[in-house]
Amino acid sequence: MIADHDIVVLGAGLAGMRAALEAARGGANVAVVTKVHPLRSHSNAAQGGINAAIGETDTWESHAFDTIKGSDYLADQDSVEIMCREAPSDVMEFEHMGVIFYRNAEGKLGTRAFGGASQARTYFVGDITGQALLVTLYDQILKAGVKVYEEWFATTLYMEDGRCRGVVGLEMITGELHLLRAKAVINGAGGVGRLYEPSTNALICTGDGYGIAYLAGAPLMDMEMVQYHPTTLAGSGFLMTEAARGEGGYLLNSLGERFMKTYAPKMMELASRDVVSRSEATEIAAGRGIDGNVLLDVRHLGPEVVLKKLPQIHELAIDYLGLDMLKVPIPVRPGMHYMMGGIKTDSDGQTPVPGLYAAGEVACVSVHGGNRLGANSLLDTIVFGRRSGKNAANYIKSVPDSLGGEKLLKAEQTRIAELLARPYTGETHARLRLELATMMDKYVGVYRDEAGLNEALAKQQDIKKRYATVAVGDKGRVYNQALTFALELGYMIDIAETTIRSAILRKESRGAQARTDYPQRNDAEWLKHILVHYRGDKAPEITYLPVTITQWKPEARTY
Amino acid sequence: MKVAFHPGCVSKGACPELYVSATKIAGSLGLELQELTEAPCTGAGVLSEQNPELGDSLNALTLAMAESMGGTLMTICSTCQGVLSSVNHGFEKKPERLEKANATIQDQGYTYKGTTKVKHLLWLLFEDIGVEKLKSAIKRKLTGLKIAPFYGCYILRPTDALGLKERPERKTYLEQLIELLGAERVEYTGSGKCCGFPMLTFNRDKSLSMGGNHILEAKDKGADALVTPCPLCHLNLDGQQPDAALALSKPIDTPIFHLPQLLGLAFGFSPQELRLDHHVVSTKRALEKVELKV
Amino acid sequence: MKFTIEVGRYNPEGKYAEDAKQGAPYPAPWSSAPARRYQTYEVDLPEHAVVLDALIEIREYQDESVAVRCACRSAICGSCAMWVNGHAHLACKSKLKDFTKDGKTRVEAPPSMPVIRDLVWDMKPFWENHRRVTPWLENKPLPPPMKEYIVSNDSMEELIQEVTCISCGCCLMDCESFAVNKDFMGPHALAKAYRYAADPRDAQTQERLGDYSKHGGVWDCTHCFECVQQCPKGVEPLEQILKLRRMAVNAGYTKNAGTRHADAFAESVKHSGRLNELTLLPKSVGLFNVFGQLATLPSAINMIRAGKLPPIIHKTIPGVNRIKAIFDKVGGRFK
Repeated sequence: MIADHDIVVLGAGLAGMRAALEAARGGANVAVVTKVHPLRSHSNAAQGGINAAIGETDTWESHAFDTIKGSDYLADQDSVEIMCREAPSDVMEFEHMGVIFYRNAEGKLGTRAFGGASQARTYFVGDITGQALLVTLYDQILKAGVKVYEEWFATTLYMEDGRCRGVVGLEMITGELHLLRAKAVINGAGGVGRLYEPSTNALICTGDGYGIAYLAGAPLMDMEMVQYHPTTLAGSGFLMTEAARGEGGYLLNSLGERFMKTYAPKMMELASRDVVSRSEATEIAAGRGIDGNVLLDVRHLGPEVVLKKLPQIHELAIDYLGLDMLKVPIPVRPGMHYMMGGIKTDSDGQTPVPGLYAAGEVACVSVHGGNRLGANSLLDTIVFGRRSGKNAANYIKSVPDSLGGEKLLKAEQTRIAELLARPYTGETHARLRLELATMMDKYVGVYRDEAGLNEALAKQQDIKKRYATVAVGDKGRVYNQALTFALELGYMIDIAETTIRSAILRKESRGAQARTDYPQRNDAEWLKHILVHYRGDKAPEITYLPVTITQWKPEARTY
Repeated sequence: MKVAFHPGCVSKGACPELYVSATKIAGSLGLELQELTEAPCTGAGVLSEQNPELGDSLNALTLAMAESMGGTLMTICSTCQGVLSSVNHGFEKKPERLEKANATIQDQGYTYKGTTKVKHLLWLLFEDIGVEKLKSAIKRKLTGLKIAPFYGCYILRPTDALGLKERPERKTYLEQLIELLGAERVEYTGSGKCCGFPMLTFNRDKSLSMGGNHILEAKDKGADALVTPCPLCHLNLDGQQPDAALALSKPIDTPIFHLPQLLGLAFGFSPQELRLDHHVVSTKRALEKVELKV
Repeated sequence: MKFTIEVGRYNPEGKYAEDAKQGAPYPAPWSSAPARRYQTYEVDLPEHAVVLDALIEIREYQDESVAVRCACRSAICGSCAMWVNGHAHLACKSKLKDFTKDGKTRVEAPPSMPVIRDLVWDMKPFWENHRRVTPWLENKPLPPPMKEYIVSNDSMEELIQEVTCISCGCCLMDCESFAVNKDFMGPHALAKAYRYAADPRDAQTQERLGDYSKHGGVWDCTHCFECVQQCPKGVEPLEQILKLRRMAVNAGYTKNAGTRHADAFAESVKHSGRLNELTLLPKSVGLFNVFGQLATLPSAINMIRAGKLPPIIHKTIPGVNRIKAIFDKVGGRFK
């Protein structure tokens, strides 16, 4: 089947749905393609809150500075300015849509403190802010009548005359491939946590958005900037929101000390995430950890705070570790959480590929640079989701209809059929992914060095070779998850290469990139973005872009 | 053992066979029933739903009456059990609720201190009277009879108020009892489900389908009869059974025993004494299996 | 530790093709569900592993053809709701050791829903009913630009119980009313309905309450607590439905059997201290509802024949004045 729409949005998380809503308001015929029901998108797992300089004593400049300092000066300051300037109206819009934000005594929006923020500007709903926003946005999509192709897996972008003209989707319930033609595609399918093991991310965060754009010619930028969240639950890797520290929680080592006083004496536990993760890794490596973890202590906050403001993580610790955080400290450790890097976009969501827009985690504008502040990602999705939707709706006015795509659809059908027909070799995609992900955590994690990174690249190339012959374990058509998993692994293997190569190239430590062989930040040589371009069987091409500085000159970053 | 006894409304109204059989078997179990003749209807959840304060006050009165008579309140209805437990539990969790209720019943000269234990006869059997005493009261084993248990929602949910976290065995007492009495128990998914009674007046067809489906499942699995500790369930499962059969276009013809009736048969009482000849769905065939006549 | 898992398999095509029941979106309730093919697997996992861990283990290392929806593994996405040992649960929240019965754990798509493949069930009934309750804010006049609605934190906290709903479907799977009544909106939808009806920023409360009082709405719930029991997030949908009922009656939507039933109940208890079944049924049905009354006639005759008719002259309990006094004091509209 071939269907035509004005705009196709990939991914139905906060960024995707916000873009779709805005484009629909702009009069476009929008369709959202998502491999899971919108409410299953990983946006629902965001816990802590969303930043905006709404408070009377707050200014967008303060928010912008915190963000830029948090990014270790790799963020493009003009884009950060836009995000921080527009944050208040975007957050307010969500309040008007009905989000049940926490209120202070006057009935106005109330805040909590968060990492790297010079004043409290994080607006929240308990510790389920992501879910609360997602649910409200989904209801708005229903109200606007936007079409959703639910449980459709995107296999490739359709390019025509150098422009992005749609996507081929695998309809999971029937196993059939269809072409959805459009005048523009907005990519909101971010998240690649499954590339690392352990990770806070859901099983569906397999980098489809990055991979599909990369293969279509969009460059991936800052891919070496991988955020490790400091407080992930020991064992399972589940997210324990930063809000636990925002509400006053402590991080302790095996000696019962609040060790952050050594690394960030001013901000302590609320320093930026890369600083805290590195501090924890250092403590653990120095033998002051407990079975490879440190302790998160919220006992002193009392039941009023914990049960009202942190109910979800309280339950998680009981369910999965049998520990009640009201009575004992909880073991936590750094876990891969977020990809600051992504598809290069400008502040209007436009990528270098005409007709292809991107927003949310999949995009690298860049507003997060080398490290993202907590509660800035939810903001990023709605500000740039909106901007992408608006600009895509404008762009399509000058785009003619497409009549092509038959060839691509047939080629995809053949490719999938061949993939399904591969004979069993004894290797499985699951084992291959685990090998890849464990390798990434070991060599491309919190601390990196030249030897480890080169080892990582060699292993990645080997895995890529082996991937080319692995058979799909289920030959059926209806709801074949083995097939989609095989395709997801393909995306992850390509993205791994971009991450490793960028990490090798950047011979400095900045933000989340911590090189033990290059421990200092080197603004003279490395105040720039690394872009990786897909070149088929040849090695990817590397280009650079300078960081845009407006008013904040890079300085030493201490917390 | 002395207990305060709230017979509920239905056992004195449309299910007189329940009251008769319950009072008859009390002696065999060494139970001295002190009937709360002045206790009001619990409201069956309907009153509490529309006016929580009213439901709290009425039930606080009953609980206070029982408190002054030893502190153990026996019910013979799953719905009474559910409502009273729920109110009692609510008073424990939120003392303000109890205060409010007391402010109302104080005018009548009562204050509830919160110590009454509400126990259905089914629980009393296992927890206070004891299996040994029960066994010694059995004069006639119900061998050959296949019985399916039907608990009734309000004696199984919600678990907190009914103490089921501390005593999960309460979810299996009926099955245990059926076997202790010598009968064969029938296992089916409907044993803990809803008979449809709360919806009878809102959506008659669907209410009857609900109960009817569960009986049919038990019947398919070989049950000769069902046993239930709730007279409201009995009204829907027995009283409305012919209409349920019409709604489902399938014959059902499966008798429903009240809990005390089943006990009574095992204790040696005659079917007539237990008013088993006064059911809408005849108990004849089931009783023939244990060589009894109605 | 070793665990045995029985997985309910279903595949509409290929080797295990079975009859796909098309055109029957609300299959028959549990007692007549089609018999399933079960496949048994053994896994070796840590003691505290959950059902989802076992399913992922099976899918990754033993049988790649097992289809199961899952994403977050931490009870926030709502993907993995299924029947575990006969009741609705989230696979990621169900510890294998708590769910071992007769040495094994049985998982399957819920029999009350259409099934797509193995453990993946068709959630169309769920989403269609979600859509039915107008699940978005119909704004009261907006505050000045860049200003929020001023509402108390308590009024927002009142709604948070429903906002924790992750739309997993556990409540609908085990809903007794939904199993027999395809028109019933379902506990999830009515809980969502309450969330918007009780939002102080919504302008359509009155209309909403009218909609929810109609056919398929709040009065089609059988008050059985299954949804409260099975909800993994503590949403307590039944409590939200009861709140909606109260709101609807207070808003004047009283021309329904539910309100008549409550009124008749209260009148009887106020008058005599006990329930008078003789008058309860006819009054609930509606004294002028001729067809309704005729429908109940056969069962009334059956009861008379069995000698189960309540006494015509309903006895008042001794001390009934206490009851009357309580009604006078806190009876509200039942005074």
